[in-house]
Amino acid sequence: MKRHFMITLTILALVLAACGTEAEETTTTTTAPDGSTETTAPDSSVDPGGQTGGGLLDTILARGELNCGTNETLPGFGSKDEAGNFVGFDVDLCRALAAAMFGDADAVRYEALTAAARFEAINSGLIDILSRNTTWTQSRDTELALDFGPTTYYDGQQMMGRSSDGFSAASPLGEIEGAVVCTNAGTTTELNVSEAAAALGVTITLNTYEDFNIVMENFKSGACDVVTTDGSGLVSRKATDPEGADWVIFPSVPISKEPLGPAWAQNNSRFGDVVTWTIFAMQIAEEYGVTSANVDEMLANPPNGEVARLLGGEGELQTVMGLPADAFYQVIKQVGNYAEVFDRNLRPLGLERGLNALFADGGLQYPPPAR
Amino acid sequence: MATETRTKPSQRKPPLWRNLTFLKWSAQLLVLAALVGLAVILGSQAAANLASQGRDFGWGFLSRPAGIQIGEGIFTRPSNGFQVLQTGAVNMFRITFSGILAASVLGVVIGVSRLSTNWLLNKLATVYIEIIRNIPLLVQIVFWFFVATLTFPNVLADQEGAQWLIISNKGISIPWLFPTDTFWQWGLFLIAGVFFAGRMFKARVRRLEETGSDSYPGRYALITFLAIVVVGWFAHPIVGGLGWLWQLLANIVDVVPTIAWQLLLAALSVFIAVRWIRSFLDSLRSPAGLAKLTDDDWFRIGLAGALGLVGAATFLFMPTLAASITDLVEFIFRFFDQKFDFLRTGNPLRFSRPDVVVPGRFAQIGSSGMTMTPSFFGVWVGVTLYTAAFIAEIVRGGVLAVPRGQTEAGLALGLKRGQLLRMIILPQAFRIILPPIGNQYLNLAKNTSLGIAVAYPEIVAVGQTLANQTGQSMQTFLIWVIFYLTVSLLLSSVVNYYNRRLKLVER
Repeated sequence: MKRHFMITLTILALVLAACGTEAEETTTTTTAPDGSTETTAPDSSVDPGGQTGGGLLDTILARGELNCGTNETLPGFGSKDEAGNFVGFDVDLCRALAAAMFGDADAVRYEALTAAARFEAINSGLIDILSRNTTWTQSRDTELALDFGPTTYYDGQQMMGRSSDGFSAASPLGEIEGAVVCTNAGTTTELNVSEAAAALGVTITLNTYEDFNIVMENFKSGACDVVTTDGSGLVSRKATDPEGADWVIFPSVPISKEPLGPAWAQNNSRFGDVVTWTIFAMQIAEEYGVTSANVDEMLANPPNGEVARLLGGEGELQTVMGLPADAFYQVIKQVGNYAEVFDRNLRPLGLERGLNALFADGGLQYPPPAR
Repeated sequence: MATETRTKPSQRKPPLWRNLTFLKWSAQLLVLAALVGLAVILGSQAAANLASQGRDFGWGFLSRPAGIQIGEGIFTRPSNGFQVLQTGAVNMFRITFSGILAASVLGVVIGVSRLSTNWLLNKLATVYIEIIRNIPLLVQIVFWFFVATLTFPNVLADQEGAQWLIISNKGISIPWLFPTDTFWQWGLFLIAGVFFAGRMFKARVRRLEETGSDSYPGRYALITFLAIVVVGWFAHPIVGGLGWLWQLLANIVDVVPTIAWQLLLAALSVFIAVRWIRSFLDSLRSPAGLAKLTDDDWFRIGLAGALGLVGAATFLFMPTLAASITDLVEFIFRFFDQKFDFLRTGNPLRFSRPDVVVPGRFAQIGSSGMTMTPSFFGVWVGVTLYTAAFIAEIVRGGVLAVPRGQTEAGLALGLKRGQLLRMIILPQAFRIILPPIGNQYLNLAKNTSLGIAVAYPEIVAVGQTLANQTGQSMQTFLIWVIFYLTVSLLLSSVVNYYNRRLKLVER
């Protein structure tokens, strides 16, 4: 009896000690990476996530690999090819970041996320960056404690119906009266379509699924009359499905603004700078005609000062950010400029540049100068 | 124990670290402290993490507009977060209750079939069980969902109008009796019917036991029930006057000041604790007097007393708690007040056939029949078939556990197989199978959360959407935990109640 109690007590003591050390470890490991020089942050010493200033960037650089949350069910933006590799427009952004930070576009660990699980993945630290056709909204930016990068793709929500049901590309939204509308759960599309239908006084039944593949199955079987999501997603589905010829996308003017871009945990300004300027670098490269094919030539023989600075030949714009001097050279060399990425991933689906053309061509993409 | 008797003769008090009482108490307190400490560490860590991410922990999202639309349920366009969760909870209950009912019936039939001497029936039941319980439930739910959406026909516009049965990939719709606004008045007669039918049944059984001649208890009970219900169908406006009583009660609850309720609830809390301690002490009392209390008994008495006092203090120092309880009581009375009205007449039930409507360019199932959506179909069929397979095995085990002599005795008395099963075997088997079946009911209730895979808007699915739109995932998790815990505990207390009632009375 007595021995049992002594043993129990010993075990208890051990458990308590373990709890104690666990708690201690948590605090030590989390404060350790916070080696940032920004001492202005008042709570940097008690910051468990290492979220202030450069914490996240230093963590990623030390790890030598980028954790990237993306989609695997949206051809063109994020999906897997026959060999099982992630490919797509959003995936290429992660590759570009890895090229900028490590000089190796393949130093990325991908995490395929559903729409509903994506934000918790950032806040829990599972991923460093979310590049998964995510709309930048006020509540996500503030309430969800995220920061958003530059918009990589200006999109808008549309509907897709069957032309045999009498829809055409010119159909107004009001024609979905009485329809069973399907989309995926936890997205802005869910809110937009409810709001737009209510504004028009149109009654619809809205079914939301975790997996967009199920939405498409039900659309094909007739259990869903209309599907809705970002226009680009619809175009990609229509282009890749054998039955796509019968489907039409409407209304011609999207029912919402959907600026899609990368997101990360807020208060990581140095990592945010890296993401922001990697995107701008790709767009500036397009602006001056720097492509993966001619980047070596451009580095040796820059046409102007901005290209020289961008490729790291002059000044130290990149090293100040905590990146190697040739960071953006590697991005262009290994991944390509914005136009190349767009043409590789989205043009085969039938998506045009439209709003996503550079400002000089009448689009909205306007990278600030590298100076 | 042995050590105590050995040390006694020497009259030497053991040192503290060998004192059994001290060790026992300190061990229990240490475990308690460790648990509380762990909870505090985790809680403060979570709070610190949220604070560092710049997110605040609040419940405001429950009263703010949610902006989402739900596929089916009591609020398809909920106006706030609370209504979203409410709709999810009701949808969860719909599957849980209808699933428990269907799985119980199917499970008993299949379980008995497995014991059948009919070769074909026996093998069919075996094949069913082996297939169903060896496939993950999620796969089965998705399978049945796709059966409904991919193989059932489309609703066509030329079917517009009333139908008797609609089977389509937008749902299955059947004729149904819907309650009208006089249903609650009639509901009182239903309850009375069940009560008096039970009394009648017992009286007739007593007569059977006394006289030995068949007194048809079942028929008498049924006739009593039908008589009361039929009278109630026409006479229900009479009890409509109760609305006045409900209103009076609601007004009383409203008028009495909160401090009175606080005192009452605090007194109730202490009273319950004292009563528990007294009954506990009574249970330890033998003809020779109160038995010696062990450390364990003291611990339980102390805990009960402490909980009673903490409860009383909570009510006294938190007026809002008492106020919210009285608000709830008042709400219930007001609810009944609305359901009863002296002048309200009309049939309590309304028969309605399903219909096909074409509001725009799409044919849809209208709202006049009882409609099961493909999502509901997938989850309901999935959990029912799955749980029935397990219930069947439990039933088989329970029947086999009844001694063979009982069967032989029954057959020797000249009972037919069906009678034997109904009157001798199943009542005894039921005692054995009830506790494990209770577990299966709990599993079924929890398995409804898989509905998220097929867009069935139960509480996990809608909660996830809500959390995703508002960013309040930790609160949503807490709500899920509390909800499922409450439902599971309620379900198991119902099962335990029946279990106690069925137990053999031993003296």
